[in-house]
Amino acid sequence: MIIGIDIGGTHTDAVCVDGRNITATAKTVTGDDLVHTIRDAIEALAIDFSKISRTVLSTTLSTNSIIEKKYAPAGMIVSAGPGIDPRRYFFTDDFHLVEGAIDHRGREYIPIRADEVARVAGILKKKGVDGVGIVSKFSVRNPSHEIAIHSIINSEFEHVSLGHTLSGGLNFPRRIHTTFFNTAVMPVQKRFVHSVRKALAELGIRSPLLFLKADGGTFSDSAADRHPVETILSGPAASMMGGLALCRDPQTTTLMLDIGGTTTDIGVLIGGVPILEPKGVDIGGLKTLVRGLKVMSVGAGGDSCVRVSGSEILVGPDRDGPPACMGGPSPTPMDALAVLGQFTKGDRQKAVQAVTPIAGRLGQDLSDVCRRIISILVDNIKKSACAFIDEVNRHPVYTIYEMLHPEIVEPGQLMAIGGPAAQLKPHLEESFGMRCTVPEHAMVANALGAALARTTRQITLTADTQLRRMICPELGIDEQIPASMALSDLRRRGERELRDNADRLGISAQGEISVLEEQVFNIVRGFSTTGRNMRLKLQTKPGVIEEWSAL
Amino acid sequence: MITARRKTGLIFFPAYDWEISPSHPERQERLLYTQDQVMEEGVLDIDGISEFKAGLATEKDICRPHFCVPDVESRITPSHSVSAGGCIEAARLVLDGTVDNAFALVRPPGHHAMRVVHGARGFCNINIEAVMIEWVRKHYPHIRKIAVVDTDCHHGDGTQDVYWHDPNVLYISLHQDGRTLYPGSGFPEEFGGPNALGKNLNIPLPPRTSDEGILHVMEHFVMPVLKDFEPDLIINSAGQDNHYSDPITNMSFTAGGYARLNEILAPDICVLEGGYSIEAALPYVNTGIILALAGVDYSYIREPDLDPERIREDPRVIDYIRNLTDDLLDLWSRREHFERPQEEFFRRSRNIFYDTDGISENQHEVVRVCTECPGAYRIDSSASTGYHVLAIHIPWGACSRCREQGLAWFEKPDRKNYYAVYLQDMDNDEYSVKIL
Repeated sequence: MIIGIDIGGTHTDAVCVDGRNITATAKTVTGDDLVHTIRDAIEALAIDFSKISRTVLSTTLSTNSIIEKKYAPAGMIVSAGPGIDPRRYFFTDDFHLVEGAIDHRGREYIPIRADEVARVAGILKKKGVDGVGIVSKFSVRNPSHEIAIHSIINSEFEHVSLGHTLSGGLNFPRRIHTTFFNTAVMPVQKRFVHSVRKALAELGIRSPLLFLKADGGTFSDSAADRHPVETILSGPAASMMGGLALCRDPQTTTLMLDIGGTTTDIGVLIGGVPILEPKGVDIGGLKTLVRGLKVMSVGAGGDSCVRVSGSEILVGPDRDGPPACMGGPSPTPMDALAVLGQFTKGDRQKAVQAVTPIAGRLGQDLSDVCRRIISILVDNIKKSACAFIDEVNRHPVYTIYEMLHPEIVEPGQLMAIGGPAAQLKPHLEESFGMRCTVPEHAMVANALGAALARTTRQITLTADTQLRRMICPELGIDEQIPASMALSDLRRRGERELRDNADRLGISAQGEISVLEEQVFNIVRGFSTTGRNMRLKLQTKPGVIEEWSAL
Repeated sequence: MITARRKTGLIFFPAYDWEISPSHPERQERLLYTQDQVMEEGVLDIDGISEFKAGLATEKDICRPHFCVPDVESRITPSHSVSAGGCIEAARLVLDGTVDNAFALVRPPGHHAMRVVHGARGFCNINIEAVMIEWVRKHYPHIRKIAVVDTDCHHGDGTQDVYWHDPNVLYISLHQDGRTLYPGSGFPEEFGGPNALGKNLNIPLPPRTSDEGILHVMEHFVMPVLKDFEPDLIINSAGQDNHYSDPITNMSFTAGGYARLNEILAPDICVLEGGYSIEAALPYVNTGIILALAGVDYSYIREPDLDPERIREDPRVIDYIRNLTDDLLDLWSRREHFERPQEEFFRRSRNIFYDTDGISENQHEVVRVCTECPGAYRIDSSASTGYHVLAIHIPWGACSRCREQGLAWFEKPDRKNYYAVYLQDMDNDEYSVKIL
């Protein structure tokens, strides 16, 4: 049995899955103490805890600490060399620029100065900073400067993150932001993981604890200790994965809509896999290298505020409170549905009272106005969905083959989850002109998504047979290779590393490995080829675990 | 977070699956290290700088500036359509106001491709700037005057040829002196056709000219000329083989110098041309150009091995350039007073060599000397491939007499043994071919 828990801003959902069956669900109010909330939710499931094989958490802990800036002070030691002035990316006084430079092929051209690093570390130590992030430009092509800085300051700081271990992606400013956030949320995450483990043990749960990440995959609690930044934005990831788990025809390209009270999250599943942000997700107004799902959030939901402007009706993008029929202050799309008899939970009379003045001002029939409100809401969602798909399809390509054979993303079905999904289904089908599925367990889709997500991890391998060097930043591999190394050798090596390091990466060793990108280029000196530059990105494939999807 | 002062669009198309041959300078990984540098610097995350997808130039787009012999299909590969299409997208972004300026960082290049195309010259099959310019004139008729400032190390003899007779396209080229480098042309006396005198300006620079020399030409010649010409659109053919590390040329320009050049010029569109120091120059030069276009501080962009003292010009080189610039400015100021030929038709004959494909071509050109319009012209072209063709151009805004003359040339070819007769009728956007 697997437990999935999704801790949202107001509610916490829990679900227990046994094979292909959802055997228990629970909903509790999210309290100030998240560990208590988790405990309450698990207890509310009323199941035999000894049979739990793993527990998966989707939390807002790191997301909120970043957005609300409630994190420990962290210092940064950054080496860059020439380029865009790195001080433009410094946002606290604890960021320090030191000497050192590496070029795009990973060749050092300005060394690190140990005395300077030690001096900077001394300043941070004196200020009482416990965490330090270390970043150098092109460290994913040659991590030696980050490693050298680490060894100089090693014993002095409790929480340390090295840029190259967090992502193999190229992007120095994003590496700075990612490393800073990782270091800053590390203490709070470590405390949290420790307390959850203790609480689970008290309940008699000793099976593995996993965390949901922004990319819709999971990793172990010990990996979450080291890489807490990857757990940001797991909420939208949970809903996309829940939708995927509940999708009956995942091979058809699916437009996923998670329709809430205030906002609707839009995503796309292609061949049963959600699509990712190509460079990394944004958080707290900054761009990171954190691998995450591509999700667009729009201010259109069941509780969106309805107003009149001239002869126009405006729906959203804000929310005033609950719908009038549920005791709220102003009319909402839910009230329009209530008037039409399509939403029966609330007080229809209150809905009529709220919408009637709008009909009066427009001189229109009440039920016509209600239909208009709903169609405007659905249209707003559709417009954003079209813009989202458009953006996906506008993605630049770099080869003639891709230019001549474009892979156009064209959804063939809709999947809607969230509170108002069931009521909006016929309206969505009419507007989008395609089938819309609202799954049975849509209310606990997020917790289900957490429970059923596979473990995922990506590694990047770069091999330069002229420099005789192979680097895998995520695993800290930097070694000599023979000049004869071919792409197939590199691929085999990468696959082996992914499996051998499953524990360290926090993933299951049985995961299906897929190639995300592979390129090989000649290195030419004068007019003859003197080596090959090979780039490879491997991942354990995201998706829903086989025990669920195979049946 | 860095915010750009100007909105800049980047069309990046490295064509990772196209090369002339595996060890040819124009090969697959030419822009690989540029991509690495631009990605690592986070240039595309700067607020105001955005990347856009390249497009595909159509056959008609290519027929506007070119007579492809025997036809477009046999003279290009899909990579050329994308590279020219990338330039078109860059122009579209600027002219629709999506961005303030744009950089088509595409390959293969184009500035050695002339109006008649029998094959590839200087790694170029079609002239990607010319395809873009003619597309702009067709779709944005309010753009009447266009300036191309070509800063590639090689003389852009292709662009010079395409616009030789066009008074509305000013072509200015700064390049290593043709006596020391391919293609061996690009001297001040190449001043434009009889209907476009002064609209073709060449500044041949001595080998080892560096930042000071090139920026002197920009400030003291190119900018005053542009001020007089008042172009509606400025294009920089931004070849980067004038860099001190380039393996096939002898100039000493730097990434910082190139960024400054674009800051001074403030072009609407930059188009990559040559540049074959793919590890030591292109990553830094391209980053510098993008930042300069966007109005972002580029002063810390520097090549790892830069030693300004080692590449500084000899004072005699600077003196030479000062004198050259003064002479050229004087020539420019007298452009209205040059005497046009008195006869109705002006003729020239020449031999053109296609180094990349090893083809030689003989051209006999006849242009109608006209005061009303840019003048119709015909080119009798025979190549070592065996093709002998007649190509007729009726220019944008042709007067009725030039139009009649052009149509007459097309209807009644002067000889029967042409393989085909081609017609470019710009105002009607019609491109016809008659196989004889």
